Amino acid sequence: MTTSSVQMSVKVGGLELCNPVLAASGTFGYGREFSPYMDLNRIGGLVTKGVSLKPRLGNPPQRVVETAGGMLNAIGLANVGLKDFLADKMPWLSKLGTKVVVNLYGESLEEFSALASGLEDQAGVAALELNVSCPNVKEGGLAFGVNPDSVAEVTRTVKAASGKPVWVKLTPNVTDPVLIAKAARDAGADALSMINTLLGMAIDPVEKKPVLANVFGGLSGPAIKPVGLRMVYQVSRAVDIPVIGLGGIMTGRDAAEYMLAGASAVQVGTANFSDPTSCLRIAEELAGFCTEQGISRVSQLVGGLDDKPLPVCGVKE
Amino acid sequence: LYQTAEVIAQRAVGPNTNQIRLEARGVAIKARPGQFVMLKIGETQDPILARPFSVHGVHGDEIVLLYKVVGKGTRLLARVESGANLPIWGPLGRGFDLDIEQPVLVAGGLGLAPIRFAAQRLKELRTPFAAVYGARNNSELLLNVAGQGWEIMTDDGSKGRKGLVTEALAERLPLSRGVLACGPLPMLKAVARQCLEHQVPCQVSLEAPMACGIGACLGCVMPDTSGGYFRVCQEGPVIDAAQVDWDQL
Repeated sequence: MTTSSVQMSVKVGGLELCNPVLAASGTFGYGREFSPYMDLNRIGGLVTKGVSLKPRLGNPPQRVVETAGGMLNAIGLANVGLKDFLADKMPWLSKLGTKVVVNLYGESLEEFSALASGLEDQAGVAALELNVSCPNVKEGGLAFGVNPDSVAEVTRTVKAASGKPVWVKLTPNVTDPVLIAKAARDAGADALSMINTLLGMAIDPVEKKPVLANVFGGLSGPAIKPVGLRMVYQVSRAVDIPVIGLGGIMTGRDAAEYMLAGASAVQVGTANFSDPTSCLRIAEELAGFCTEQGISRVSQLVGGLDDKPLPVCGVKE
Repeated sequence: LYQTAEVIAQRAVGPNTNQIRLEARGVAIKARPGQFVMLKIGETQDPILARPFSVHGVHGDEIVLLYKVVGKGTRLLARVESGANLPIWGPLGRGFDLDIEQPVLVAGGLGLAPIRFAAQRLKELRTPFAAVYGARNNSELLLNVAGQGWEIMTDDGSKGRKGLVTEALAERLPLSRGVLACGPLPMLKAVARQCLEHQVPCQVSLEAPMACGIGACLGCVMPDTSGGYFRVCQEGPVIDAAQVDWDQL
């Protein structure tokens, strides 16, 4: 069996993707930044930088710092705002063959509703992803994402304003992700993206100061992969909507692990920074992994974890 | 733009300071002084990010980088042997505009990296220029790297003239039509202020912690005079000093 004979397409959250590898929001700009490095039409899809109603300048620098096996960021959701997004970014994105998911960031239900309405007639927008989890901004994001009722309200609001599939991106900075996931599902979410970054901080011991101007930042990269796998595993067993797995995926094997944990598709984030060709490379590596393992359809990996408890002496089955 | 560069050789040129030669044709044929590359030190997940380096010189299909060993990434780079292949992408960002008469080049410390490349190109263009190069002391000076005829300044007077590069620049500013500068932030601030006062256009090459180098992560921003931020990797690293809000730095 050759790599090309592996069936790589998947259906997830109302979309059909040519392969299960998407670029994660906030790590891929508006797509165009990466077009010199790969044919974007060969990746499953891309999720844009979070778009807010009004432009946002973002946090003062220093905004990023490398940590062991990962990095912290506190960008502060800097973005061009809906109006400029529609005027300057959308025309180029609309010409892409790959699926474009627009990540939305609102600080109120009204803003989420206005964002969803503003994108409703954009044929190039395949789905909406709601950022209810970004931990970088002092108000807004975190408040929605940590409370099941708020997550449900935002999801319902956007579903009412839009006919497009709605993905809800969940934060790992909660005690019980299943509770939040069920709230989003009950409110009509078509899929869940998880996980967003873990809240962390870095300190310069010589200066005796936090490294990031925002003090706290979101931890991403291979350092968080075990947390992501655990949460995808927990949630995908508890809800009947697809989970899109992300958190530290650097290789095709990492993607396979997420799919075995229960993800129907994956997003690649920090890897885009350490190698701008990552999304395509990971999609190819995932196909190669399937070939090696004698798997003919990549979707056969989904939830395929062999986790039956082993027999224990003295316990009758 | 993304390729593998073969390490040809590296050598120490000063205390904890190395020059590394890489075969990277794609970068070499396009690089302009002031532009940079992202170099990943092997396929490690720790460190995970590539490092930005100014292009220091170009010879045929080879590029030269100048770097100081300051952290995990550069310590690893210093141990890389000839023949190793490293992922690289570039050239990136905006370089110096060299289309000026009688430019004055100002380099402080490792700021020599892009300034030396600018000097190389100016020579090829047969544009006469003056160059000032300063370091803390004699042992920090990379005299074998700087060009002949450059004015040398040291903080302690252990080589060249005693004083800061700004003192040498002050003497030359009245005759200058433009300044190209790279060095530590306090030096760039002082040079920018001097040039603004004398209404001499000044291009500075900046550095900032960055993740991607291609304008996506928005990590490398600095404040601009319009009240917002610019990305060092896209609107820089070389930028008109008048566009930078120095008071916030």
